[in-house]
Amino acid sequence: MATTTTKIGPVELEVILGTIRSAEIEIEAATERTARSPMIRDQHDYRVALFDGRCRKLTGRSYSALVEPVFEHFGREEINPGDVFFWNDPYNSAGSIGHVPDLCTTIPIFSGKHLIGFSQVFGHHDDVGGMVPGSLPVHATDQFQEGLVIPPIKLYDRGRLNSAVFKILTRNSRLPEYLEGDIDAEIGAARLGSRRIEALAEHYGVETLEAAYDAIVENCTRTIREELLPRIKDGVYQWEDYVECDGVDAPRLHALRLTMTKTPERIVLDFNGTDPQAKGPINWAINYCDGRFVRKWMGPILRNLAATPERAAEIDMNEGVCDVLEVVLPPPGTLVSPVFPAPTGLRFFLLLRALGVFAGCLAKATAGRMPADQESIRIWGIHGQDRSGKFFLFREVLGGGSGGRYYGDGSDVVHIVPNSRNLPAEFSEQRYPILIEHLGLTPDSGGAGQFRGGLGYDKRVRALDTVGLLSNGDRSLVNTYGLNGGQPGATYGISILRGDGEVVEVPGLADAVPVGEGDLIRIRTTGGGGWGDPLDRDPEAVLYDVGCGLVSVQAALQQYGVVVSGQPPVLDFTATERRRQEMRSSASVTMFARGAFVAEERAQGRVSWPPGWDEDMVDGVE
Amino acid sequence: MSRRLRVTVDTGGTFTDVVAIDEISGEQWTTKTPSTPSDPSVAFLEGVRKVSVLAGCSPVDVTLVVHGTTIATNAVLEGKFQRLGLLVTRGFRHVLEIARQSVPDGYGNSYFWVKPPRIVPLHRVFEIGGRMSYAGAELSPLVEDDVVRAARELRDLGVDCVAVCLLHSYANATHERLVGEVLRREMPGAFISLSCDVLAEYREYERAVTTALDAMVKPHTESYLGFAESGLRDQVGKVPFLIMQSNGGVASAQEVSLRPITTLLSGPAGGVLGAVFVARQAGIRAVLTLDVGGTSTDVCLVQDLQPQLTSQSKIAHYPVKVPMLDIVTIGTGGGSIAWIGPQNALKVGPQSAGARPGPICYGFGGEAPTVTDANLVLGRIPPHLLGGEVPLNESASRDAYERLGIRLGLSIEEAAAGVLEIAAANQVNGIRQVTVQRGLDPADYCLLAFGGAGGLLGCEVADFLGIQTVLSPTNPGNLSAFGLQVSDVRRDYVRTLVKTELDGAAHELEAAWRTLEEKARTDLRKEGVAEARIRLLRSADARYVGEGYEVPVPIPEGLEGEAAVKRAFTDLHDVHERTFGYSYRGKQIVEIVNLRVQAIGETFRPTVDEHRAATTAARPAARRVFFRKLGWSESPIHQRLDLSVDARVVGPAVIEEYGSTIVVYPDWQAEVDPHWNLKMVRC
Repeated sequence: MATTTTKIGPVELEVILGTIRSAEIEIEAATERTARSPMIRDQHDYRVALFDGRCRKLTGRSYSALVEPVFEHFGREEINPGDVFFWNDPYNSAGSIGHVPDLCTTIPIFSGKHLIGFSQVFGHHDDVGGMVPGSLPVHATDQFQEGLVIPPIKLYDRGRLNSAVFKILTRNSRLPEYLEGDIDAEIGAARLGSRRIEALAEHYGVETLEAAYDAIVENCTRTIREELLPRIKDGVYQWEDYVECDGVDAPRLHALRLTMTKTPERIVLDFNGTDPQAKGPINWAINYCDGRFVRKWMGPILRNLAATPERAAEIDMNEGVCDVLEVVLPPPGTLVSPVFPAPTGLRFFLLLRALGVFAGCLAKATAGRMPADQESIRIWGIHGQDRSGKFFLFREVLGGGSGGRYYGDGSDVVHIVPNSRNLPAEFSEQRYPILIEHLGLTPDSGGAGQFRGGLGYDKRVRALDTVGLLSNGDRSLVNTYGLNGGQPGATYGISILRGDGEVVEVPGLADAVPVGEGDLIRIRTTGGGGWGDPLDRDPEAVLYDVGCGLVSVQAALQQYGVVVSGQPPVLDFTATERRRQEMRSSASVTMFARGAFVAEERAQGRVSWPPGWDEDMVDGVE
Repeated sequence: MSRRLRVTVDTGGTFTDVVAIDEISGEQWTTKTPSTPSDPSVAFLEGVRKVSVLAGCSPVDVTLVVHGTTIATNAVLEGKFQRLGLLVTRGFRHVLEIARQSVPDGYGNSYFWVKPPRIVPLHRVFEIGGRMSYAGAELSPLVEDDVVRAARELRDLGVDCVAVCLLHSYANATHERLVGEVLRREMPGAFISLSCDVLAEYREYERAVTTALDAMVKPHTESYLGFAESGLRDQVGKVPFLIMQSNGGVASAQEVSLRPITTLLSGPAGGVLGAVFVARQAGIRAVLTLDVGGTSTDVCLVQDLQPQLTSQSKIAHYPVKVPMLDIVTIGTGGGSIAWIGPQNALKVGPQSAGARPGPICYGFGGEAPTVTDANLVLGRIPPHLLGGEVPLNESASRDAYERLGIRLGLSIEEAAAGVLEIAAANQVNGIRQVTVQRGLDPADYCLLAFGGAGGLLGCEVADFLGIQTVLSPTNPGNLSAFGLQVSDVRRDYVRTLVKTELDGAAHELEAAWRTLEEKARTDLRKEGVAEARIRLLRSADARYVGEGYEVPVPIPEGLEGEAAVKRAFTDLHDVHERTFGYSYRGKQIVEIVNLRVQAIGETFRPTVDEHRAATTAARPAARRVFFRKLGWSESPIHQRLDLSVDARVVGPAVIEEYGSTIVVYPDWQAEVDPHWNLKMVRC
């Protein structure tokens, strides 16, 4: 399609851009106001986006899905005003819907006969059937065990509802009462967004609007090219990271491998070398549509190269990122190119690893000017009978510390889903048979560094009744990596302290571990990796952390070379100087620090780098 | 001639606005004086003096002073947290560090987002042993030694403001009260706030922050109000001195000093009350207020003449859970700066030139072009403000817009008009987000535009939103100060008590409501409100069991006992339907979460004298004014005082008055209604 040549004035562009950005926020507000399930309303697990008529994403807050499946499954003449397209099929959504609880609605926007855009909302719904409540079985071995799969269809055709869809869908859900209302809410919100675009077309004319689309997308490309790419040294870089367990086979490292090739105008991300697909639900089907989904998912990582974090927050990543980022995906049969019906329910580990390996490659290419690693999603929960004898399922997404950065420490317990919220203790205790005895940060969980990693949770929950415990968490063996001399962050761990004093370690992936009345559940989430040599950390900052109990006296001494004693703690400057000198002369600074587990796995030959990978750059000094 | 003057003073960022009404004759005077941010009491006292001179009477004729102050707001915005400490339940020392684990806005922000400093840094947070259950049962006794130790360490740290937030204190406050006693003993003279007094509502993080804010602003509020009050006494003698609170009601200065959190967003409240008064007069029931000041615009939706309260407010990034008028602030006002962003994009705000240095045309050293400069360049405002008191430097504004235009390839006029269009669009987007969140359509409302700059953009904002009517009240620049004239005493009471409709807890709920009401009655009597003038409004926050959020259900006045409790359970369905668009009537169990009482002490309402004649039907002057649609055109310039009732002005035209200017856009016309409001509609 030819680029339109209409010139757009700065005033029109700013008003149109402002309106589209606002419309994205309005769609979110409408979704949240009218949706019903806790996953969407409380945990904010939904995405929205506005696209132009050529499937180009115009908005950048929320990553959303893709519109291409509409064109892949319907001819242009079948796309009409009043249609609502609908799907959740990980293998028929051009790689844009990762697992079946995500039900996606897409609405075409028209100005007269002219297709001027699409408005899209999808939410993570409570239950679409499958083996376990919540439709995320950790032991699933195929997609059919995960729930009902819907390929792209029309839920509405020119304004007419195909009510059979709702009948089938609700018949297949354990929580049908929320489902129809949630989807109605999503459609209503998407329609609201489409009205904003229609009004723009009416006010400015289709030609000006489309010229604005071009400018919005091109400005994103140009911002990346002019502001971010020059900070990356041209070259070829490799990095890999792991998922520890697929829920079916015995735990072993499943590697996601990335080769990044940077040239002045472009970055190519090649996932060849990635491990074969897993039997369990950790697969992620993104080898469709030139990887457009994963390009837009990974693009925001580039924002870390902005001059300041404030500037990073301003940069919207829209379709324009696809002109800069190319993706090469391996032939079918790997973790990122699984073959139907491989299960995909827990694909979020790979979603996070993809960001981590990209950040790792960029760290190599920028002399470490990237954040250290973070692991910011895991779900824990309990199920059982509530006070009235009814079955309950309580799930909470807990964040982890973010990595240290060249401009500051990592933040504590962040969650990658924007604006999500944890549950107040005063709420949880009202609702469930539990007593929260401790809700804090885990000391020493943040990787040591000049800028240390953010801390993870230490949550201790006393069960007041017999319940089952569930956990969907990775990074229980492999640490978050430290960068540029920073140390790795602490791993995830969940355990049960029985009444008789026995401590039971629970694996990261578990569906229903029995917990007795009076047992204490303890959850410790990951810390972020540290950034920079801990010996360069301001001793006063270490002293402050020790005083606040965030870093132990021992860690101050062993990792930071800072000698602190007494209560309140006092810093010994001379001893610190001496100790740091000794430590400096004996240690070498590495770009990445992955922790003991990976080192051991490599020493034992259980993971190895593909031939030709630049071994120096992997774990050592450049 | 003897007068009884009720004086109201509203401190704004740029000007301090003053209104005086004579209780006897109903005559009204308004004036302004530049704000004095380093010590706002200077402008406050000057305003009282100035208006009494204007009224031609002596300061001793002042009978009452009502004040809208930003002292608490500014203390928070300026981050004056150095003297603040916090005590929490053992195991929860990191409650502020963890907050709700929420990273604002976009995907991937968790990589670069830097957690802002907490309101109380960790080294000033101490744990206290002892535990309550959610039902208020003591699981372990309070460890008083912990309190003593904490108090001594806090004292050593130089802390003299202490907030206390223990788990489930809304259900049983015994431990918190004990802590309060120990603190008062150990730290004489310290400012102490207990969460059970500030906000007896569940959600420990939000309650802790709200309580900390209360403790933190106490010394600032107390010393400022003490100073203002003694200055006032010197000037006018001892008169009642009332302070506007964020809930839209007033309370005595002494009362407010004890719980200053209630004044945290008092600034814009007066404007909303004034707007409601104007709307009632004009016979309009659904109003969207647009209060455009120097740095920002405040928006409030008023349905059925009732401004809504919210307990979801924020100041800076801190949640404030005490009830406040549901006002949303948008970062665009007259002083907003136009600038060129990355990729040569033309941007307006959120940076503002504020009062100092102010817009370029003020000549106080401002160098960045602002919205006000654009209005001047386009001939929308006269070359002087406040009836000539403040001359403006037009050529400096033009130079700035010329430079801006060259960088964008636009003429001076296109650049200036473009900046106004973007400013209006920013306000429109803010309004849409507010209304969508509440499930409402702004097109169903009348836009009531006021504040110094409200009349300049009202038509443009209305055009974007499809709004049919724009109303500009008399003295729009002083409506906030006027609103203080028509305020009541108001106090809010809350208590978390979670009961479902199946619990059969009507007696317990009723008893809790009554306890709140008794406290309310006692407090209002202490404020000097006569028994007959006290109104008590009950409401309950309720939800469906399983939901994590609750909605306020009002109880009709006079309903008590089982009937009131039943009403809360049954009406939840309607409120839910209205708020979210659906309900689960007959399908899901309802539970009450919080009980609330709002106590209103109705105060004297002035009768405003509206008998005034237009001065001679002066012929309007004319000036060249620029609109994007028309280019430059010779437009009539009216003086508002010259327009009589029923006068009609067809746009494009400008209507000037002291402290404010109204622009009637092309395709709009204005008519003066019987209450001297300008009602603008599309031609």
